[in-house]
Amino acid sequence: MFFLKKIFWIARNTFTEAARQKFFSFLLLLGAGLTAVSLSLTHFDFGDSELKFIADFGFGGIFLFGSVLAVVTTVQLFFTEIENRTALTMLAKPVRRGEFLFGKFLGVWCLLGVFVALMCGVLAAVLALRAGTLAEVAGARGLPPPFVDFGGLAVFGVLQWARLGIVAAMTVAVSSFAQTYLYAVVVSFVALIIAQLQYVFADFASGEKVSFGVKALAGTATKLIPNLQLFNTGEALVFDPAGLSAAAIGCALGYGVIWIAALVFVGMWFFRFREI
Amino acid sequence: MSEENRIPAIEIENLTKDFRVGMRGVKLRAADSVSFRVEQGEVFGLLGPNGSGKSTTLKIILGLLRPTSGSCRIFGKNSADVAVRSRIGFLPEAPYFYGYLSGRELVKYYARMSGVPAEKIDECTEDALALTGMTDAAARRVKTYSKGMLQRIGVAQAMVHDPDLVILDEPTAGIDPIGSAEIGDAIRAMKSRGKTVVLCSHLLGQIEELCDRVAIMNRGKLVVAGTLDEVLTQRGKQLAVIGAGTQLTPELVEKLRERDGLNIESVSHPRISLERYFLENLKRK
Ligand SMILES: Nc1ncnc2c1ncn2[C@@H]1O[C@H](COP(=O)(O)OP(=O)(O)OP(=O)(O)O)[C@@H](O)[C@H]1O
Ligand SMILES: [Mg+2]
Repeated sequence: MFFLKKIFWIARNTFTEAARQKFFSFLLLLGAGLTAVSLSLTHFDFGDSELKFIADFGFGGIFLFGSVLAVVTTVQLFFTEIENRTALTMLAKPVRRGEFLFGKFLGVWCLLGVFVALMCGVLAAVLALRAGTLAEVAGARGLPPPFVDFGGLAVFGVLQWARLGIVAAMTVAVSSFAQTYLYAVVVSFVALIIAQLQYVFADFASGEKVSFGVKALAGTATKLIPNLQLFNTGEALVFDPAGLSAAAIGCALGYGVIWIAALVFVGMWFFRFREI
Repeated sequence: MSEENRIPAIEIENLTKDFRVGMRGVKLRAADSVSFRVEQGEVFGLLGPNGSGKSTTLKIILGLLRPTSGSCRIFGKNSADVAVRSRIGFLPEAPYFYGYLSGRELVKYYARMSGVPAEKIDECTEDALALTGMTDAAARRVKTYSKGMLQRIGVAQAMVHDPDLVILDEPTAGIDPIGSAEIGDAIRAMKSRGKTVVLCSHLLGQIEELCDRVAIMNRGKLVVAGTLDEVLTQRGKQLAVIGAGTQLTPELVEKLRERDGLNIESVSHPRISLERYFLENLKRK
C-alpha cells in the first residue's frame, strides 16, 4: 500500500503549501467578508426574500471565489511545479507520474473542501442571526417564522465541493499540457465559463428551429462538457421546505465524481508523455 | 565479488536524444549515441562544456526523459522502472523546492517519498541535514534560503534515504569552497561505504580528487571515457622537480640545454590553486 501512502503525503504536502500561501486566506476573508457585509445591506424587513438575498451573496461568494481558488491554486501547485522543475526532484523518487498528479489534485480538493466548509459556516451564522431577528418580528405580528434549512445548507456545501472538484480537475487536465502559466490560467477559466454555459448547448441540441448539423454539434458538445449549473441547488435545499430528493442529490454527486475521475485521467494521460 | 556486485550500477548503450525545438519540427540532438557504464562502488565524473548534454543524459538515466533511441539500465533494470528509483538519490541542476515548507519538513517529505520506514524518518532527516551543514537553518522556510543553501538542501534530499547510487548534477554550483569540500567529504564517505556516485561538475580540481573514472562529453557525443590516469597522463612529457639547494638560473638552463642536450621546454615554480588556498586558510575550526 506504499502507493496510497505516497499519494496521501503528496496531497498533504500540497494542502499544507496551499494553506500557507496568502492567497487562500485572502480569498477566504474576501468571501466571508462579503457574506457578512450582506447583513448590513438589509435594513428593511423583506421577510423570506431578505434571507434569500443574504444567501445569494453567500452562494455567489462560494462559487466565484471558490472557482478562482480552484483554478489559481491548481495552476500554482501543479503547473508551476512542472515549470520550476520541482516535479523533477519528486519524479526522480519512486513516484509514478499518475500518483504525483492525483496527489496534487487531492491536495487542492481538500483545500477547496476547507474553503467551502468555512464559507458555509459563515453563511450559516449570518443566516441564523438574521433569521432570529426576523422570527421575533414575525412572532410579534402573529406570523410564522421564516424557513431556513441548515441541514440543506450542509448538503449544498458538499455539492459545491463536488462542483469545485470538477473545476480543479479541469485545471489539472489543462495544466498537464499547458506550456505557460498564463495559458494554463486563461484556458482553465474559459473552460470554466463554457462548463457554466453548458445548458446553452443543451438548449441548442434539443431546440426545434436549428439545423441538423448544429444540433449534432451541440449534442456532442453537451456530452463533452460538464454541466456546472446542475449544482445550483442552494435555493431548493435551503429555502424550499420540500428540499431535494435524495436521488437528485445522489445523482449530482455521482455526476461530479465521474467528471472528476474522467478529467483527472485526461490529465494523467497528457502528463505521462510530457517532457519535463 | 558477489554476483549482485558485478551488475553495473549504470549501463547505457547508444543513447540518443532529440529535442523538438521551434515550430517546423527542427530537431536538436542533445545526446548522440552515448555509451558508457558505471561500475558499482566507483565515483564517476561526467564532464563537458555547457550544453554538451550532461544533464540530458542524467535525466534519461533517471527515467525523467525518454530516449529517442538506445537503452539505459540501472542495476540491471530498465530506468523507466519506478521501483529501482528507491535506490537512487538525485540532485537536479539548479534545484527549486517547495518554498512554503521548512528545510526540515522538506527533507522529511522526500524521505517519506523515497520509502524510508516511518520510525527511521526523523533520524535519517537529521543525519542528512547535519551532513550538509543545514541543521541550523532547518527550521526556516525554504523560500528564504540563499542559492547555496538551496543547493545544500538539495544534496540533503538526495542522500536522505541512504541510496546505493547518488547522481549529483553540479552539486557545488553556488556553494562556497568550504561547503564544496564538505560535499567532497560526503562523496568520499559514500564511496568508502561501497556506494556509487555519479558527479557532474565544472570544478575540475574536485573531480580530479574524487573520481575513479571520468567520461567527457562534447556536443552530445562522448569524447573520452576512462580512469583519470588513462585520460590525463601525458606519457610523452616529463616534469622534473629540483630541490631547494640548486638555483635553476637562466644560464644553467641554457647550459643544460646546449651541453647536455636536455630538451627543457620551460621551467616553472609549482603553485597551489586558489581553491587550495581557500581551504587551507579559511577552513572552519
Ligand atoms: N527540454 C529541452 N528542450 C529543448 N532543448 C533542450 C532541452 N533540454 C536541453 N536542451 C538542449 O540540449 C542541449 C544539452 O543540454 P544539457 O542541459 O544536457 O547540457 P549540459 O551539458 O548539462 O550543460 P551545462 O553544463 O550548462 O549544465 C543544449 O543545447 C540544450 O539547449
Ligand atoms: Mg547541466
